[in-house]
Amino acid sequence: MLDGALLVRRQRVPLRLSAASYFGGLLFGLALAALILVQLGVPTAALWQEFVVQTFLTSQGLGQTVTAMIPLVLVGLGTALALRVQFWNIGIEGQLWLGAMAATWVSILDLGPEPLRLPLILALSMLAGALWIALPLALKLLWDVSEVISTLLLGSIAFFWVQHQLFGAWRDGKTGFPTSPTLDAAERLPLLGWGQVHAGLWLALAAVLLAAMVIGVTRLGFYARAVGANRRAARAAGLPVLMTVAVFVLGSGALCGLAGAVIVTGTEFRLSQSIGAGYLFSGIIIAYLARSNPLAVLVVSFLLGGLYTAGGVLKVFYGISEAMVLLVQGVVLLSVLCAQLFADYRVVARRPA
Amino acid sequence: MHFPHPGPQEAPGRAPALLLRGIDKSFDGHRALDGAGFRLDWGEVHALVGENGAGKSTIMNVATAVYAADAGEVIVDGRDVPLRGPADAMAAGLGMVHQHFRLVGSFTVAENVALSLRGAGQKVSVAEAARLLAARAAELGFRIDPAARVDELSIAERQRAEILKVLLLGAGTLILDEPTAVLTADEAQALLTLVRQLARRGRAVVLITHKLREVAAYSDRITVMRQGRTVLDAAPAEGLAMDEVARLAVGEMPAAAPRIAARPGVPLLSIEGLSAHRGDGSRALDGLALELAEGEVLGIAGVGGNGQPELVDVLSGLRRPGGGTIRLGGADLLTASPAARRDAGLRVVPADRFDSAMAPGLSLAENLALTGVASGRFGGRWLVDRRKMRREAERLIADHEVRGGGPATPASLLSGGNAQKLLLAREVSDGARLLVAHSPSRGLDLRATRAVHGAIAEGVARGMACLLISEDLEEIMSLSTRVCVINNGRLSAPMPASEVTPERLGALLVGHA
Repeated sequence: MLDGALLVRRQRVPLRLSAASYFGGLLFGLALAALILVQLGVPTAALWQEFVVQTFLTSQGLGQTVTAMIPLVLVGLGTALALRVQFWNIGIEGQLWLGAMAATWVSILDLGPEPLRLPLILALSMLAGALWIALPLALKLLWDVSEVISTLLLGSIAFFWVQHQLFGAWRDGKTGFPTSPTLDAAERLPLLGWGQVHAGLWLALAAVLLAAMVIGVTRLGFYARAVGANRRAARAAGLPVLMTVAVFVLGSGALCGLAGAVIVTGTEFRLSQSIGAGYLFSGIIIAYLARSNPLAVLVVSFLLGGLYTAGGVLKVFYGISEAMVLLVQGVVLLSVLCAQLFADYRVVARRPA
Repeated sequence: MHFPHPGPQEAPGRAPALLLRGIDKSFDGHRALDGAGFRLDWGEVHALVGENGAGKSTIMNVATAVYAADAGEVIVDGRDVPLRGPADAMAAGLGMVHQHFRLVGSFTVAENVALSLRGAGQKVSVAEAARLLAARAAELGFRIDPAARVDELSIAERQRAEILKVLLLGAGTLILDEPTAVLTADEAQALLTLVRQLARRGRAVVLITHKLREVAAYSDRITVMRQGRTVLDAAPAEGLAMDEVARLAVGEMPAAAPRIAARPGVPLLSIEGLSAHRGDGSRALDGLALELAEGEVLGIAGVGGNGQPELVDVLSGLRRPGGGTIRLGGADLLTASPAARRDAGLRVVPADRFDSAMAPGLSLAENLALTGVASGRFGGRWLVDRRKMRREAERLIADHEVRGGGPATPASLLSGGNAQKLLLAREVSDGARLLVAHSPSRGLDLRATRAVHGAIAEGVARGMACLLISEDLEEIMSLSTRVCVINNGRLSAPMPASEVTPERLGALLVGHA
């Protein structure tokens, strides 16, 4: 069949077409996922109920989806910011761990007066995340060390540091498990009275708005566009390339650090070994699908949050194994990614000779 | 019953090597070919001439099945066999040498040939490929080292390697896309002689070019294309008036920029003892010195690889110099940032505009604003004024007759000529005191070349100085008020343009003057 068709690259991709191809890919992926789930014994009738109604259409389900979305927005935005200046932040989880540790540290030491505790946690977590990416950034700018390697390895180091703390000084004396003691009430993000949705939502929305504004209308955003599109040309044009890269990359680390603090203070209320797992892949997928556009990051994070919520339901209520849940999620995401082909290329039937 | 059928080809001689009829081809609504035709006979060198975008490369890409035509027929050596891709075309004996060679840089020449032959289904070892290469090269009367890595070869050597590869693949018909664009005059002559020799031995050769004069003497027939149509079909080259052919190819022609009169102005640029090294540590600039006054154009001729790109990079601030002085109107620029250089009035048009001057992914408006945003020309301290950017872009696009896009069009969609016009519009603007231009008309057709030269001449008439670095002697001669030659990172003593003759320049170019 492929022999009878040609792919012709489109000179320009209309927005409508791009949106339609994403949507088509999503539908295709969901259909495929549904087939797999039916094979696994999930009743057909329950699919609509679980995937759509329970995830997006009931207040409780929507609340869960939004809660899952909050840290996804922050890490997705963090990845997107770094990508804008051609910096591959593969150390999202490392910066997230540092942010989570900063939050835990403040909580354990009861630093500062209680009313200022939460702002202090959030500020320190951003600082910690930014510092954790500052080293790869400096290595890259000074000696052109590949940030893919350095951020990735620093991510592992951060995780071992977390383990070191949890099995040592920070172990919860009451339970003996390798988790930190639970946070005091003053150290928690307030709930919004809608399921588990917490005030981290406002932080995520504010971050999206701020990023969209910086990229859209500020001089710094223009510099970043130029640096991302052609670094040498930006330098030759006299733009402050180093400053631009530094601001965007440090901002990326700060957002990922904030995500760590939001997870600890918003949903988990303690540091454990499992809270950061999977955010690296999510962050990259979100930034890629959103094409590094902050508003699109919000939309993609919401849908991905739904996918994760639905996965949780499948695991708990239908006994689907973790591996199968990941497989189903992978099928959906891969379909969406592949569908972009049909926006970028036109498929033309070969003329019969 | 009688079935009409195509009989054997009418004598005399064979069917044409290549026959294209009524070819249509559109890209996203843009009509690149509009009922175009082309006929190539065995034993001839055939020049396919036209401006950029006339459809020359497109029609040959249709012939070699890189593109599928929307309509029309392709007949190779009298056989109407459908070609389903470049591999089919190669098997049918059509070998195309593209502008960007299809060679693996980290492989040796022999490995490249072996790779292609195996791709075509022949089991050939690298040693056998090396033997075949050496034999074929000797037959054609030149030397090539089959064991040399391709990325260590000069452009001319790479081209020869590519031609040999295509011949060894069994090409009876050779299609060369702008083969002389990357060559020096001597190399071009050697290539054209080789090509002629191949044709005399029975092959057929197409030379796609917009430099008619260069190839005319070596061509047997000439086909001219304009705007996707064939406007002169396989006319014998002998006795053809070249001016007439050029007029057919170009249509209405803008006037050439008037010669720039030498009016010595205030001294502006002074460079002394400038040195720089390449990435591999070799010396690129070796105590280079020059003086330049306002309203002057100093042409720096020279064979490629004598330090030209390094000189441009050192001047624009992208490469750290080893030592020396660069003074522009009193300001010391040796280690100044690119921003400080722009403030001092330095403007640069590099050889490859998408390497260090423009961003292909940004819109025309953004590219035009690239150098103005930092100084606050488009908005305040914090915000950018995109409306102003767009208005400015609209104005420049109209003033400089840039075609093929508006302010929001990505720069990558413009043709080379239009992109270059746009870059000159940006660089030769308010505050430009010195323009460093490296091969500003390379790859451009006559019309765009004239527009680019006109823009430089206009700036110079306003008192701007220009350092014109080019391997194209015609370009050097048509713009410069003084001329010198760069050789191994040093400049010869400049001479007034009126005293320059091709002979004197030629002697300097090879470094024996």
